[in-house]
Amino acid sequence: MRKVLALIRAGWLTRLSYRLQVVFSVGGLLFIIVPLYFIAQALQPVMAASIEHEGRNYFGFLVVGMITLFLVTAAVTVFAETLQSGIERGTLETLLMTPTRLPLLLAGMVGYNFSWTGLRSLLVLLAAWILGVQLAWGHGVLALAILALIILAYIPFGLMIAAFVLAFRTTGPWPQLLLTGSVFLGGVYYPTHVMPSWLEGVSTFVPLTYGLRALRRTLLDGAGWNIVASDVAILGGFVVVLLTASVAAFSFALRYARRAGTLAQY
Amino acid sequence: MSTALAAMPPSAHSAGTRGASDAAVRLQGLTKVFPARRTWSEMIRHPWKGGHTPALREVTCDIRRGEFFGLLGPNGAGKTTLFKILATLITPDEGTATVGGFDIRRDAPSVRRILTPVIGDERSLQWRLSARENLRLFAVLYDVPSDVARERINELLDLVGLADAGEKLVGAFSSGMKQRLLIARALISEPAVLLLDEPTRSLDPLSARSLRTFLREEICERRGCTVLLATHNTEEAFELCDRVAILDRGRLLAAGPTAELVRDFGDMRYRVWTKTPEHPVFGALVADVACGPLVQTPGEDGWTQIEFELAEGMQRAAQVLDLLVSQGAVIARFELAPLSLADLIRRVVERKAVAHRA
Repeated sequence: MRKVLALIRAGWLTRLSYRLQVVFSVGGLLFIIVPLYFIAQALQPVMAASIEHEGRNYFGFLVVGMITLFLVTAAVTVFAETLQSGIERGTLETLLMTPTRLPLLLAGMVGYNFSWTGLRSLLVLLAAWILGVQLAWGHGVLALAILALIILAYIPFGLMIAAFVLAFRTTGPWPQLLLTGSVFLGGVYYPTHVMPSWLEGVSTFVPLTYGLRALRRTLLDGAGWNIVASDVAILGGFVVVLLTASVAAFSFALRYARRAGTLAQY
Repeated sequence: MSTALAAMPPSAHSAGTRGASDAAVRLQGLTKVFPARRTWSEMIRHPWKGGHTPALREVTCDIRRGEFFGLLGPNGAGKTTLFKILATLITPDEGTATVGGFDIRRDAPSVRRILTPVIGDERSLQWRLSARENLRLFAVLYDVPSDVARERINELLDLVGLADAGEKLVGAFSSGMKQRLLIARALISEPAVLLLDEPTRSLDPLSARSLRTFLREEICERRGCTVLLATHNTEEAFELCDRVAILDRGRLLAAGPTAELVRDFGDMRYRVWTKTPEHPVFGALVADVACGPLVQTPGEDGWTQIEFELAEGMQRAAQVLDLLVSQGAVIARFELAPLSLADLIRRVVERKAVAHRA
C-alpha cells in the first residue's frame, strides 16, 4: 500500500506543478455544469415522465450520468494512457525494474488520475446540489458502493485496451467505440427504456445500463438496497467475468511484450 | 552488509576461490532473437514471411562479485539487450542467467531486489519532481524503510554533489546533474549489482572523468558493488574495468582481464609525426621490423602522421624510435595510438580466425 500511495503522491505533485492546468481543469467544470443546468431545465417537462423512477429531476439525472461518465472514461482510458506516456517518457521501464508487483505498480500509476477525476466529480455533484438537486445523502454509502462497482466493471475494458498498447503500441479504436456505445446505450443522457425495443435489448449487454439505473434510484430517489439489488447483482456478474478475462489478456500481453522485447520500446 | 547483499541466497555469499561460486552474474548460452522490422512493401508482398534479427547468440560468461566488468561493443552489439534481460524486462529465448544465484526467469522479483540498472536515459526521471522527491519515490519502491531512506537520500545527494539542488525540479537540471541523479537513484537500494549503460554518453569530458573516478572508487571499491558497464568507448572500458568482454553482433568475441586484453590487442599501434615521410628508414621499418603496413596521413605545416603496428610492445617501440632517430628521420612525436573499438574488434576477429585455422 505504501508503494501505491507513493506513486499516487508523485502523480499529484506532478499535476500540481502545472498550476494553470489545474486552474483550468477545475474552472472548466463551470462550463459543463451551467449549460447543463439550463438545458435540463428546458427539457424537464419533456423528460419528467420517462425518469419517474430515477429522480424525476432531469438536471439531477444528467449530473449523475455525467459524473459516472467522467469515472467510466477514466477507467477505460487511464491505463492505456499511463502506459503509453510511461513508455514514451522512459519512466515505465524504470518502474518495471523495481521489486514492485505489477498490480501495485498499475494501481499507483493510475491512482492519481482516478483520485483527480473523483475530486472533479465531487465538485460537480456539490455544484448540482447547490443548484437545487435533491440528493439522498443518507444513501451515500450505497451510492458510493454502486459507483465503485461501475468503475470496477469498466476497469477490465481499460486493462484490455492497455494490453493492446503493450502488445501493439496503439489503443486501436476501442476506447472511442466503447465509450460512445456506453454513452448512447447505457443511459447517460436518457433512460434506456425510451429507446426502440431492439436497441434496449442491446443495452442489456452494457454494464452502465444497470449501474446508472441503480445509482440514480439510490442517490436521487432514495431507493434502498432491496430495490437496486437485482441491478447490482448483474453489475457484480459483469465485474467477475470481465475482470477475469482482462487479467488474463493483460498477463498474456505482458508475456508477449517481454518476449518480443517491446515492453518499453516506443 | 548492505541490504541487497543480505538478500542474496547463501550460495551467493560463499567466499571460496574465484570461479563458479563467486559469480555475481552468470550467463549460460544466453540467446535472444527479435522479429526483424519489415517495410510496408515486404509485408504486403509476403504477409506471413517474417525475418529475425539475432541480438544475442549463446553468450556465456561469469561476472565475479565486487568486480568492475566492462561490456564493450559497437551500437547494435547486444549490450542493452543483455542488460534488459538481466533487468527482467526481456525474456531470453534460450539459455539461463542468474544474478546473485537467483534465476532471472523463475525468481525475477528477487533479481530486481539486488540488481539496479541505469539503463534509461535522463527522461526516465520524474522531471516535474525535485531530486529529493525522485529519490524518495524510489526508496519506497525498493522497500527502504522511511527513516533509513531519509538519511540515505541526504547521503546520496551529498555523494553525487547535488546536496544544494535537492529541492530543485529535475527538469531544470543540466545533463550532468541528471546523470548523477540517475546514479543516486540506482544506489538508493544499495544494490549488489549495478548495470550502467553508457553512463558518460551525455557528459562533457571533465564531468565524464569525475563520474568515472566516482564509479571506480566509490561504487566499486568502497561499496563493493559489482558493476557491469556497457560502453563503446575502449578507453573508458580499459581505464575502469577489471575485466572486459567484447561483444559484436550478439556474439561474445573475447573476455578477460583488462591488462591482458590491453597487452594482447592494445599496445600495438604507434604513431609518429615526421617531416621526412619519404626517408628510407621507414621502408626499412617495414622490411626489417615487420611492423605491418604504414598508414600515412598528411598533417599541417608539412608534418605527416605515420601509423604502424608493433607486435612486441614497449621494448620494440623503444628500438624503433632509436632506429628512426639514429637514421636521421625528423621526428616530432612518437606515441601510442588510441585503440578504436573497430580496430579492437577487427584484431580479436583476426586473432580468432588465425587460432581457428591453427
